[in-house]
Amino acid sequence: MEADDLSLVSKAQAGDAAAFRALVVRYQRKVYAVALGIVKDPDLAWDVAQDAFVKVHAHLGEFEGKSAFSTWLLRIATHLAIDSVRRERRSRKDDLDDVPEETLAEGGEGILATALGNDPRQNLLRRELAGKITDALADLPEKHRTILVLREVEGLSYEELAERLGIHKGTVMSRLFHARKKMQAALARYAGLRPASEADSKGEEGEG
Amino acid sequence: MIRCSLAALLAAALLAAPPPAEAQATVPVRIRVIKGSRQGPPSFDPRLENQKRQLSALAYVRWELVDERSLELAQGKTQFFTLPGGDDVGVTLQERHGNAVTIEVALAARNTQSRLTVEKGQRIVHQVSPEKGGSAVFLTVLAWP
Amino acid sequence: MSDCTKIAPLLGARDHELTAAEAAALAAHLASCDRCRAIAADLAATEGMVREGLMARANARDFSTFADEVMAKVGRAERPGLFGWIGRHRAATALGTLIPVLAAVALLMYVRIEGGREPALFELSSEGEATTVLQTADGPVVLLAEDNGS
Repeated sequence: MEADDLSLVSKAQAGDAAAFRALVVRYQRKVYAVALGIVKDPDLAWDVAQDAFVKVHAHLGEFEGKSAFSTWLLRIATHLAIDSVRRERRSRKDDLDDVPEETLAEGGEGILATALGNDPRQNLLRRELAGKITDALADLPEKHRTILVLREVEGLSYEELAERLGIHKGTVMSRLFHARKKMQAALARYAGLRPASEADSKGEEGEG
Repeated sequence: MIRCSLAALLAAALLAAPPPAEAQATVPVRIRVIKGSRQGPPSFDPRLENQKRQLSALAYVRWELVDERSLELAQGKTQFFTLPGGDDVGVTLQERHGNAVTIEVALAARNTQSRLTVEKGQRIVHQVSPEKGGSAVFLTVLAWP
Repeated sequence: MSDCTKIAPLLGARDHELTAAEAAALAAHLASCDRCRAIAADLAATEGMVREGLMARANARDFSTFADEVMAKVGRAERPGLFGWIGRHRAATALGTLIPVLAAVALLMYVRIEGGREPALFELSSEGEATTVLQTADGPVVLLAEDNGS
């Protein structure tokens, strides 16, 4: 019995349905998580995730094993997810390589680090906040949701993100930064954390 | 404004760089196939001493070590174990994030796939054969033994 | 434009994603900028939360029908026959009947380890014929459902 991805794919290509099913079970939750981050609605995410597997199955014959199966699967899932929220994509002037000054201040600076403490992984607050991630993500525009999800859930590098999204590395980096700051601002709101900038203005650049 | 020392500089830069993706790294694991029985005189294989507390949660009175391997699991590759009785179990390292690993235990004969994410120091004990004649077989996986 | 706005996108890079020049510029700027160090601390503190949050939602959802539904959609295209998609292993152990697939079990637990260590995380999702899970201080113990009538 072989069970790693490429072996299962070969068997599935040869018509072994149990092998394909094993791949579905192996990746179903991860595909769903990526879809959920992008499309926001859980039932839509479920459908998108299933469609991704169906599409993969239909194109199994074209998969040559040059990339990892999971990369191929998630690429298809990403595109299906973005397509299904296409309505959201208005032309925005935010594909800048530069980060505007006001973005730096979003969500305060250091308040989350202070609240989460020295060992954030072990903290109750972290678990609570993680539970609010989908709410925080839902506040962001699709481009920011997508890049955050691909970076964190799929684990793509800057280069891979540039290739997946068809943008330059510089744009990847600034868009990711925007997205994380916005998400942190939303999280800080949900956690009821007050921005520190009201209390002290040490180190602030000159105001207008 | 206090100038930072070199150490603090490096610390600050490290703060900015989350752990790497570690796509090619392997994780050392110790995997055992063990058998528990309700019948027979109570006995505990001394080689399983470090699991005694965890196994005491189960009702079996006899525990024996059937197989043990210490190996390096590479991400995405499956290691196979043939159980007493002939069935196969596949163990796959799916993901690693820092001190946590996600392991898939797949039993072909039972059409079961379990995905477990555990932190360093936790051992997975997974039943891999149904209980027959009062005995059952388990697979245990410990990362960074 | 301040240095901060140029430097900020460099924060959050992983190993080998910055050039040597970028890494040096980052380190130099952080040495003298409270604000960017604070931003870096925020990013480090929230590292991985998007993944945790989304995977927690995925793990909490009942996936017991997902694979069957996919195989049915795929089967429609192939028409392999009524039970054509059942693997040979399932047929062998089923003795000619279908083994019911139990609801997928998905748990996210924080287990307190005896001896005063911090709580450790474990996550389990299982499809198939598991299961009961025993939560022990040393780690999860996953048990199979009992055989029906054998």
